[in-house]
Amino acid sequence: MAASAMKGAMGLRTSISQPIAFVGKIPWTTASSVLREHFAQFGHIRKCTAPFDKETGFHRGMGWIQFSSQAELQNTLQQENHIIDGVKLQVQAQRAKVVKGDQTSDEERGF
Amino acid sequence: MPQWGRPSMAALLRPAGWLLRAGAAPRLPLSLRLLAGCSRRPRAVPRAGVLLSQTRLYAIAAEKKNVLQEEPPFASRRNASQFDWALMRLDNSVRRTGRIPKTLLQKVFESTCRTGSPGSNQALLLLRSCGSLLPELNLTERTEFAHRIWEKLQKLGTVYDVSHYNALLKVYLQNEHKFSPTDFLAKMEEANVQPNRVTYQRLISAYCNVGDIEGASKILGFMKTKDLPVTEAVFSALVTGHARAGDMENAENILTVMKEAGIEPGPDTYLALLNAYAEKGDIDHVKQTLEKVEKSDLYLMDRDLLQVIFSFSKAGYPQYVSEILEKITYERRYIPDAMNLILLLVTEKLEDTALQILLACPISKEDNLTNFGSFFLKHCVTMDMPVEKLIDYCKKLKEAQMHTSPLQFTLHCALSAKKADLAMALMKALKEEGFPVRTHYFWPLLVGHQKKNIQGIVKVLKGMQELGVDPDQETYINYVFPSFDSVKSVRAVLQENGYLPESNTFSEAELRSEAVNGNLDYILSFLESNKSPFPLSSLRGSLILGFKRSMDINLWSKITELLYKDGRYCQEPPGPTEAVGYFLYNLIDSMSDSEVQAKEERLRQYFHQLKEMNVKIPENIYKGVRNLLDSYHVPELIKDVNLLVEREKIDPRKTVQSTSADLESTLERLKAQNQPAGDILKQLILVLCSEENMQKALELKEKYESDMVIGGYAALINLCCRHDNAEESLNLKQEFDRLDSSAVLDTSKYVGLVKVLAKHGKLQDAINVLKEMKEKDVLIKDATVLSFFHILNGAALRGEIETVKQLHEAIVTLGLAKPSTNISAPLVTVYLEKGDLTAALEAAIDCYVKYKILPRIHDVLCKLIEKGETDLIQKAMDFVSQEQGEMTMLYDLFFAFLQTGNYKEAKKIIETPGIRARPTRLQWFCERCIASNQVETLEKLVELTQKLFECDRDQMYYSLLKLYKINGDWQKADAVWNKMQEENVIPREKTLQLLAQILRNSNQEVPFDVPELWYEEAADSLSSMPVSPTETNTEKDVLKACQIKKSKDAYNSFLKAQRLNIVFNNETYISLIKLLLSKDSFTEAMQVKDFAETHIKGFTLNDAANSLLITAQVRRDYLKDAVAVLKTALNQEQVPSRLAVTRLIQALALKGDVQSIEAIQKMVHGLDSIGLSNMVFINNIALAQIKNNKVDVAVENIENMLTSGTPTVEPQFFGLSYLFRKVIEEQLDPAAEKLSIMAERLANQFAVYKPVTDFFLQLVNTGKTEDARALLQRCSAIAEQTPVLLVFCIRTSQKPGKAPVLKSLLELIPELIDKEEAYTSVMKSYALDKDVASAKALYEHLTAQNVPLNDMFLKRYAVLLKDAGEPVPFTEPPETFKFYANQLKESREKPS
Repeated sequence: MAASAMKGAMGLRTSISQPIAFVGKIPWTTASSVLREHFAQFGHIRKCTAPFDKETGFHRGMGWIQFSSQAELQNTLQQENHIIDGVKLQVQAQRAKVVKGDQTSDEERGF
Repeated sequence: MPQWGRPSMAALLRPAGWLLRAGAAPRLPLSLRLLAGCSRRPRAVPRAGVLLSQTRLYAIAAEKKNVLQEEPPFASRRNASQFDWALMRLDNSVRRTGRIPKTLLQKVFESTCRTGSPGSNQALLLLRSCGSLLPELNLTERTEFAHRIWEKLQKLGTVYDVSHYNALLKVYLQNEHKFSPTDFLAKMEEANVQPNRVTYQRLISAYCNVGDIEGASKILGFMKTKDLPVTEAVFSALVTGHARAGDMENAENILTVMKEAGIEPGPDTYLALLNAYAEKGDIDHVKQTLEKVEKSDLYLMDRDLLQVIFSFSKAGYPQYVSEILEKITYERRYIPDAMNLILLLVTEKLEDTALQILLACPISKEDNLTNFGSFFLKHCVTMDMPVEKLIDYCKKLKEAQMHTSPLQFTLHCALSAKKADLAMALMKALKEEGFPVRTHYFWPLLVGHQKKNIQGIVKVLKGMQELGVDPDQETYINYVFPSFDSVKSVRAVLQENGYLPESNTFSEAELRSEAVNGNLDYILSFLESNKSPFPLSSLRGSLILGFKRSMDINLWSKITELLYKDGRYCQEPPGPTEAVGYFLYNLIDSMSDSEVQAKEERLRQYFHQLKEMNVKIPENIYKGVRNLLDSYHVPELIKDVNLLVEREKIDPRKTVQSTSADLESTLERLKAQNQPAGDILKQLILVLCSEENMQKALELKEKYESDMVIGGYAALINLCCRHDNAEESLNLKQEFDRLDSSAVLDTSKYVGLVKVLAKHGKLQDAINVLKEMKEKDVLIKDATVLSFFHILNGAALRGEIETVKQLHEAIVTLGLAKPSTNISAPLVTVYLEKGDLTAALEAAIDCYVKYKILPRIHDVLCKLIEKGETDLIQKAMDFVSQEQGEMTMLYDLFFAFLQTGNYKEAKKIIETPGIRARPTRLQWFCERCIASNQVETLEKLVELTQKLFECDRDQMYYSLLKLYKINGDWQKADAVWNKMQEENVIPREKTLQLLAQILRNSNQEVPFDVPELWYEEAADSLSSMPVSPTETNTEKDVLKACQIKKSKDAYNSFLKAQRLNIVFNNETYISLIKLLLSKDSFTEAMQVKDFAETHIKGFTLNDAANSLLITAQVRRDYLKDAVAVLKTALNQEQVPSRLAVTRLIQALALKGDVQSIEAIQKMVHGLDSIGLSNMVFINNIALAQIKNNKVDVAVENIENMLTSGTPTVEPQFFGLSYLFRKVIEEQLDPAAEKLSIMAERLANQFAVYKPVTDFFLQLVNTGKTEDARALLQRCSAIAEQTPVLLVFCIRTSQKPGKAPVLKSLLELIPELIDKEEAYTSVMKSYALDKDVASAKALYEHLTAQNVPLNDMFLKRYAVLLKDAGEPVPFTEPPETFKFYANQLKESREKPS
């Protein structure tokens, strides 16, 4: 029981962070389809959003791209400039910082 | 002008020149002095030019500000801050762009009006802004604006003086407003305002601007009779006057006259001449004059040349513009001035010249990404420039690299301004240029027509067609359908109007809309005829709405059956059973109880039809539906749903738990069979550890040593640490290392080891553990640092100097924790505890030298003052003064004197010349006084700071009232009310509310208007007995000692009185007992209580004392006594503090005492006044059950509460954070697992997300980021629980040291950062933790997103940067935090 317990609640230890890029300074001319098109060159896109304000009909200049893997996100980030419609986007990684030390519980090891 | 001969003119002017030469004004005008510092050449009086520089605006403002500061510091504070705010906004705008946008001025104007009675300085500022700083408005509009401001402010009670009339004149001149100077003077006379020199000068300019020399000379004559000095400005005006009268010769002659009058023509005069020639198109004379100026030692600024350009182009000679442009030197200040002129030219329909100037602007084009031309294009759109011209301009700007995407930008402007025709034309141009035209370009236009303007919408849709753009679903649903009465009519109306929608997209959009409208027929036929797969999840919300709005059960069933059986819909995992089951649950859940009751029969039909159709749902979902129906009081329906349950499946998560006995027998069996038993042994040890069975676990380890694995040792080490067994834990640690020297323990286990080793004198071993932590790079969390502090503090309280020193040294030098004030405090504490003040001070100073922190300096100073250690005080003060500045030193000393009751000395300190209010420090001391109930100290603080410069009096009185409220002292509160009036303090609303509460609580009348109603609470009336002089003396001693918190003195006085058998007042004993309890002198307090009880009949402690007593008992673990005290208090109808009761309940929970908690629950039942939330009981009863190893009972209870819908607590308020945190902190891992599973189950099956979110947040909070991440991955809905997450952010940010927690939260849920509550909280936390790097990143992120940041946020960031000695990249908001907090609050109250 204890072993399964450890692997349950307290042992949620699959350390894959969400491969999401935050994109800012999106020009008004660009909607999510163009964003998707641009970022598709770096990998498979799971989700791409750039919410619109229904009161004005314009979006708010930011969006999120969720890739299916960290590697794809890294591809994206390695590209120095992301320019859409002549405007340089601000692309930020939202990967988790590399946590110091081993995150596996000591009580779980030994096999 | 023959009658105006030169000699007569000279004669007229001579005395004026003499006056000026003789220096009639002994003191330079302030504006001159200020200007001298700002621009290269001073101008005594602003000239009637087109452009007004920002420096001038600022000068006027600064001038008025100085006046203000001469007023008493507490008067007009509010106006002053409003003024500073307005000034900052306007000044910033002018500095950056050379102008004030109309909207900004409007905003400042409105906000000024809202303050009630705007000050004269604000009025001046607003009027000043209505001239050339508004280049985007035409001249008439500007003057109208000025008049509007003038009249409105007058109505609001602003009193105008001559400065306002002069400002208005200036605006008239700048706006070329035609008016009668005589009428103007009459108006001033009527208002009883005396004109001054500036008034006359400006009136002369007014005459001159229309070429009326006669009028001008009348005024001049008048000035002469009044002996007013005539300045260069008058001569310059006369140059203009003669020129505009067509007499260039005399215009030129003015210069000679000036020289004769002893005034050398300056740049202003030459500029007037230049403008005069320019207006005539006389380029030759302009050039000659320019040459003359160049040869003289005079200097024309670019701004002056821009005016000449304006004169040329306005007069119709644009051909000469380029020649003047060549002379521009492009000073630093040029760009804003040029922008101003460009806009003005566009306003004046001189856009070609505007473009010419724009293209000449020296803009860096290095990165090819500049969009400098935007302001120009935008204004062109506003001014309705013909589209052909705009497109041509766009091309030119692009060629000149002044804009990367001018057409798109112009389109954006047109769309924002809802100029549909222009937008369509621009889109055509885009298409022709080969740029894409996208669907969403049309949305702003559709939004513009959303007031049922069908024609408008059809026009846009047709326009889309023309441009070959197909509307998508979003276009229809969000921007087209809302304009129609029904979706059904859309297609027809559109067709009528000649628009045929592209079929597929349109029908899909229709489906979504029809679902919402309850048109199930349509949905069914669509689902049947639909060809492509459609995920149910995307339809669910719409379908449920549709179901609820139709009531056609046959259609319900048919659609459900279709979803269940048709291959297009639910065949993907988890399959139709689960998907449709979940759909049913959601359907019922979305209905209210009355709705379900009303539709009971139809629902029954529905379920039976489903049964007929052989639709099945899983058992667990059935249970959820059952609970719902139960809570809706329609249990009769349950059996009907039950028909649908899929029988054969069992929840796989329900696994049977094995007991230690089972495991042990398995272990023995394996050993007997000689099979590997490491796994089972480890499991067994873990179980024994969770049962706290140390002895048995150690025995097993001995017995099966060879089978021991790392995990088993780790658990054992932890167990021994918990049981304070230093020897054994050290042994185990060594065995652990022998087994695998590279193995790493969890952080908390290392900390446990350090703690137990340090406590038992194994200092070197403890340090070795710390070293290992460093070597193995163990994760250090906030909680770890806190544990370090407790270890150090424990040693300090035990007086172990070496332990404290060496451990601290090791922790800090190894880099395990930053040398914060907190963690270093024990270094001082250890000496303070021993009473060694010299060493304590040395230790504090040593900390400063090493780490730039000064721990516990306040306490050290207080002790020094108490002991009269003058030399040491001097030493401390010298040090603080040298290192942290004199002001800090003065405050330190002030607080220490106050604290120790040396009020005279405190007074002297706070009256030091030059000292000013430091709100944070004052607030810190106020809070301290409130927390320890030091009434007299706080009263003294408030009294002594009355004259303190910039002291927020309202805030001070508010703190005082808070304390009076705690003590229920309405008389003192009432006195505060009067004192505030005397002091002319305007109380804020919250202060008034607090005051009203205090008065009402004591059944007193409230002398002002406060809306809320409060329950009545009888004031404790304490009977006073007649007393003898000696009694009063000892009693006074006790009371006095109590007030200054000298518990020992107070207690000694009490003992003295006891020996003399003197009995005090009830209240005195209560005060003494409270003081003793607060100093943790429990025994003494009990002694006083016993004495009082035996000497005063019916002596009882009051609410506050009983609360303190309970807290003290809890601290000492006398829980039974504490429960008894609580019972007594409640029997006496007292209201003990929530904190005390909560502490008691929590302590009971940790002991596993369920019964006592339940007893308390009964006792306080119905006592809302304590303010105990039901959740306190739910959390702690569960915790107690868990402590009793009844995890399942706890989980079941909680789950029932949440799923049965019993209305004890609404799910969104069902906070289990405390329970979760305790379980995680106490490492009750099996319980944590079950709670986690429960939380996930509630989320997944019942859509109750609060528990799982709380659990997630507690994982984050305790640094278990990876666990949190995994949980989030399993239950992504957590990320959508924005309100819960935001509350967590806000709460967390209030505690220091929490920045890493918030950081990890944001890493996990990145989108959270864009919520205002989130980023303001995070910034607060960074500021609190002085995390400059993270704050910078946050700021950059937000500014990159163009998130509008409020002043509070900016202020926080600016102060953080400043404290770190870094430059602030923007103007720091000038007001106090308080001010912005209130501003924010106000703005939230006003829906904008």
